[in-house]
Amino acid sequence: MDMIHNLMLGMSVAFSLQNLLYAFVGCMVGTLIGVLPGIGPVATIAMLLPITFHLPPTAALIMLAGIYYGAAYGGSTTSILVNLPGESSSVVTCIDGYQMARKGRAGAALSISALGSFFAGTVGTLIIVMFAEPLTRMAQKFGPSDYCSLMALGLVAAVVLASGSVLKAIAMVFLGLLFGLVGTDVNTGAQRFTFDIPELSDGIDFAPIAMGLFGIAEIVINLERKMTRSGAIKVDSLWPTREETRRAIPAALRGTALGAILGVLPGGGPTLAAFSSYTLEKKISKTPREFGKGAVEGVAAPESANNAAAQTSFIPMLTLGIPSNAVMALMVGAMIIQGIQPGPEVMTKKPDLFWGMIASMWIGNLMLVIINLPMIGMWVKLLTVPYRFLAPAILLFCCIGAYSLQNSVFHVEQVAIFGVLGYIFSRLGCEGAPFLLGLVLGPQMEEYFRRAMLLSRGDASVFVTRPISLGLLITTAVLLVLMALPSLRKAREEAFQEEEG
Amino acid sequence: MNRFLSKDFLSGLMFIAFGLGALYFGRNLAPGTTVRMGPGYVPHMLSYIMCVLGFIIALIAVVRGSEPVEVPRLRPIAMVTLGIIVFSLLFERTGMFPALVALILIASAGGTEFKLVEVLGNIVVLTILCILVFKIGLSMNITVLNGVW
Repeated sequence: MDMIHNLMLGMSVAFSLQNLLYAFVGCMVGTLIGVLPGIGPVATIAMLLPITFHLPPTAALIMLAGIYYGAAYGGSTTSILVNLPGESSSVVTCIDGYQMARKGRAGAALSISALGSFFAGTVGTLIIVMFAEPLTRMAQKFGPSDYCSLMALGLVAAVVLASGSVLKAIAMVFLGLLFGLVGTDVNTGAQRFTFDIPELSDGIDFAPIAMGLFGIAEIVINLERKMTRSGAIKVDSLWPTREETRRAIPAALRGTALGAILGVLPGGGPTLAAFSSYTLEKKISKTPREFGKGAVEGVAAPESANNAAAQTSFIPMLTLGIPSNAVMALMVGAMIIQGIQPGPEVMTKKPDLFWGMIASMWIGNLMLVIINLPMIGMWVKLLTVPYRFLAPAILLFCCIGAYSLQNSVFHVEQVAIFGVLGYIFSRLGCEGAPFLLGLVLGPQMEEYFRRAMLLSRGDASVFVTRPISLGLLITTAVLLVLMALPSLRKAREEAFQEEEG
Repeated sequence: MNRFLSKDFLSGLMFIAFGLGALYFGRNLAPGTTVRMGPGYVPHMLSYIMCVLGFIIALIAVVRGSEPVEVPRLRPIAMVTLGIIVFSLLFERTGMFPALVALILIASAGGTEFKLVEVLGNIVVLTILCILVFKIGLSMNITVLNGVW
């Protein structure tokens, strides 16, 4: 009964005119950046963070969520039509989607991917509804030491599952934690690393860092490369044949299931889900040779998987306050800007925001099918916009956005500094995502750590005597040990090579 | 390629530099005891971890070798950074419009192709867009041109 009551509450919030409008804006922007190569959801959400400051919290989060899953839809369009993945999560769709398009089945591939995504999105939303309450109730039992261990697990798992060099990623997490220390120490009031700059006493603002590391650095990297564009394939009928439908449905179901599971894992998310489900389909297919030559399953499964994962990756963020990937870290940042501390209290203290956001995800998915299928021609035209028009526009939005946070040019200068830093990181092959996760979790982690140590009178064994904390730490340790095993490391490296290629 | 100019070796150095920097600038923060941690406890701990991790990364890079760093092209990063700084200097003194023009001109010059007509068109479109979104849409308190609007 509770679930239906909650859903009704969510629907009533999500169906208000204002929230519908922001869900629509989010979906449009998401599709747009999904279609445009060279700018991804992380950079876009980072860029729009300051703007959300001026919106009501529910509307802001609804819009950002729309961008996230909208990008997954838009990215598949370009993968299928021009063999250019707009997003990393739709890289695999290129393989078979583009081949289908070359065989004259572009319309069918687009419909299968959009309808598969919609189905997966719906299932993903339902899973969030079902698991949100029990998980939140569990999280409320957590003590400070448990929380600290949970965050450690989240950070380690994110590193293990989602990046190239593990050691460098771990170092990036610690660097993020270090940057998170800047500002006034909450327990003693001492100034830490503020260099007598008054603006830094509240800590480095999250938005300029995200904009610099992801927005600016991405622009610069793109400016260095020459972008080439190929012509798009014309779209005929959108309807798949009966044979195509028959093959697509089971693949979409498997993709949804796998995606939903991988989305919840820290470090999981759409990209990992898409790759894994493609591999799965290829393994269990009776005709594995068709893969790479326009297999319907090769479009249906990864497209469903990436969308299911996009939805379920909200679960750890919404219930535990622990982001599992860079986009979720930005969502946490958006909540903090709005004065909401993410964690289990969000559901009990702000049920309208919590359930409204979840309900709006389903509405957003529905909107996306409508935005994507009939308007496909318009999106394809957008592909012809050269990057040299986009780069200054993105820069400008970053600058004005950063200024508007607190009406101070200091924030704009921060964007410049972190832009340079982000550029260095990416040149050295150090990933920004672990840094961001560390930065977001750092302040909370320190607080829980110090509180746990204070409660235990300086006895560090508190982390291993409480069962929840011990279980979480053992899981963390197991993950680290697994990483060191040569066979696993090799398999993992191969998986990442495939992704890059 | 020199094995000291590899991505991992330089990353290691960078992490060590951050660790040492944090130790130096945090030297006056009291670490306190494990029971009553001072403001410096966690920063010091993190600094040491950074240095150790950086050292290991650099060591592995020297022993095993790693990918060489690509020679960076300085023009894009320099122009983009310069553009943002000029923007931040002009924004409050002159208003949004001159800052915007400067940013777009400088940033466009950082790209591979620069066509004046296109850049001017871009300026016009973006000016209108920014006024619509920020000034009218979000009703932010920003001036377009100081003393005029």
